[in-house]
Amino acid sequence: MATGMTMSDATLLRRLSTLLVARSGCPRRMRLFSSYIVRGATFEPPDVSHLADSARISLAPGEVEDFGPKIRQVIDWFGQLQAVDLESVEPSVRADAEVSMYKREDTPETFENREAIIRVAPSYDDPYIKVPKVLSKE
Amino acid sequence: MALIFHRGIIANSQFFSRSSGVLFRRLRASRSCTSARGEGTANTLKEELIQVAPKRALEPNTHGFEAIIGIETHVQLFTLTKAFCSCPYVYGSRPNTTICPVCMGHPGTLPVLNSKVVEFAVKLGLALNCGLSMTSKFDRKHYFYPDLPKGYQISQFDIPIATKGFIDVDLPVEFGGGHRRFGITRVHMEEDAGKLLHSETGSYSQVDLNRAGVPLLEIVSEPDMRSGLEAAEYAAEIQRLVRFLGISNGNMQEGSLRCDVNVSVRPIGQSKFGTKVEIKNMNSFSAMSRAIDYEISRQVLLHSLGQSDQIFQETRLWEEGAQKTFTMRKKEGLADYRYFPEPDLPEVVLTKEFVDKLCQGLPELPEAKRRRYEKMDLAMQDVLFLANDNHVAEFFDASLENGADPKLAANWIMGDISAFLKNERLSITEIKLTPFELSELIASIKNGTISGKIGKEILFELLAKGGTVQSLIEEKDLVQASLIFLIVDPAAIEALVDKVLAANPKQLEQYRAGKTRLQGFFAGQVMKESKGKANPLVLNKILGVKLKGES
Repeated sequence: MATGMTMSDATLLRRLSTLLVARSGCPRRMRLFSSYIVRGATFEPPDVSHLADSARISLAPGEVEDFGPKIRQVIDWFGQLQAVDLESVEPSVRADAEVSMYKREDTPETFENREAIIRVAPSYDDPYIKVPKVLSKE
Repeated sequence: MALIFHRGIIANSQFFSRSSGVLFRRLRASRSCTSARGEGTANTLKEELIQVAPKRALEPNTHGFEAIIGIETHVQLFTLTKAFCSCPYVYGSRPNTTICPVCMGHPGTLPVLNSKVVEFAVKLGLALNCGLSMTSKFDRKHYFYPDLPKGYQISQFDIPIATKGFIDVDLPVEFGGGHRRFGITRVHMEEDAGKLLHSETGSYSQVDLNRAGVPLLEIVSEPDMRSGLEAAEYAAEIQRLVRFLGISNGNMQEGSLRCDVNVSVRPIGQSKFGTKVEIKNMNSFSAMSRAIDYEISRQVLLHSLGQSDQIFQETRLWEEGAQKTFTMRKKEGLADYRYFPEPDLPEVVLTKEFVDKLCQGLPELPEAKRRRYEKMDLAMQDVLFLANDNHVAEFFDASLENGADPKLAANWIMGDISAFLKNERLSITEIKLTPFELSELIASIKNGTISGKIGKEILFELLAKGGTVQSLIEEKDLVQASLIFLIVDPAAIEALVDKVLAANPKQLEQYRAGKTRLQGFFAGQVMKESKGKANPLVLNKILGVKLKGES
């Protein structure tokens, strides 16, 4: 299910680097690993074709070479966070400082404009959404 | 804690790194409430000792190999709305009707967690004797598939809501019985995907997204099962549990309970695990059992032929018709799900009050019921039957409240009442007979008011039409002039006894000379005189006194 979209450099860069960061692990306020990460300058160059494949983004051959160093740059920006001193910081489960205590009640609500959703499906074969034949999961 | 910088290593979807004890200490709740109730520790040791002996006897003949089986179960929750939006979900709805922009993954939408999901997850975690994570989070699990609208599934990766529990099961009596305890690795919350169907022509596929976003709980077991039987019983117990807790209807046919099994074999004594094979497409517990046993023998055979390298880490499908497993696809390396924390959802925080409240509200679980029924001296067969269905157990318990004898109540429920339910295709909650009336019926037979045979007739009436035992007895009395009602009046019986004794002086002399077994003869004579209506208990009492010569 490849989406062969073309998009601007910046968007591409953002998507690919998000992907790489996700793959490698979020930069966390992990005091335990900060010293380990500083040594991460020896991080391997990103396998851009593999990344693009995972994100279902098609790249022209020239773009593959182009994006390698650019993605590396983005990762290094994140790497700068490792210099922060975390001695006095409590480890946290996720990045958010606030915890939302909102509780959604289990009360059903039917969405009114179902037709609008169906209308934007590229191919609809009532009552199903039609898709190309699928062989196996990724 | 999980995600550190891997140097270009593909993130193994099964990888957890255990790190800072500080973090985990903060996260862990104290042990579950069932152990606090005193059920746990004393009995568990004894049960673990019992486990060892029968286990060997039950393993299929695997020629010196043992099977290692682990099960991943997905339980669809009974909530009124989906996990992250307020769409209702009704099984069998017309396709693509219970949808909204959130569960369709449209841009600009945000998920909002259904609080019931957390409640159900905690209940299950407690019932499975797990430690709870007082703070946990959601993660995104990325893969592309038409039934997954967002391109990722919201799940929990490295901090699941519950971990390290266990479940106790009793194996069916007809297969040798025995207790088992199986470990639970983790329980986590996630959302379901939609349904993918293939068109008749096969040239395209069809997607129904009604089910996308429905909350699931995934239960991962420790690889503790050793045979198809044990695996099937584990799954059956999970089903019992989710039904008892009221969090799911646990129906394998409808898809609200799905089990994926992992099977490997290794020579007994070897510590290294063999190659793991995943089996899917089993629609019932018996199918699970047969599929696993087949797979075990397939792997053992390959080992014995020296072809253990022909066992690949793959997914195989169980074909019910052929009664075999077939390759679905070979696993090309491990899947790269690119997990990262779901930025659109806040932490899931549990408070001690919340957990304690749920703890206290837990119903009596199947395991506790079985142990309680065992103490009533019921046969194991009866115990397993009664504790299998929550409604049956409730009916049984209610009838005991009025003083009915457990064995008799069990017999009635398992016998005539069950037969009726089966014939009429009813559940025990739908019959007109009340537990109170069942206990009345048992009492009436016990004290001799009616015979067992009459009791069965009355039961049938009560099941079909309701009413009370008393009124039915009286009713029939009116209609058939005490045909049912036995003569209990002592004076009337005395009169009959006197008559019989007077008519049989020779036997009376023989009795008084020592032939005491002639009492039976006299009893028979009195019965004949009363046309079978004399109450046997009263009769024998009076007869005994009269025969001895006291008046």
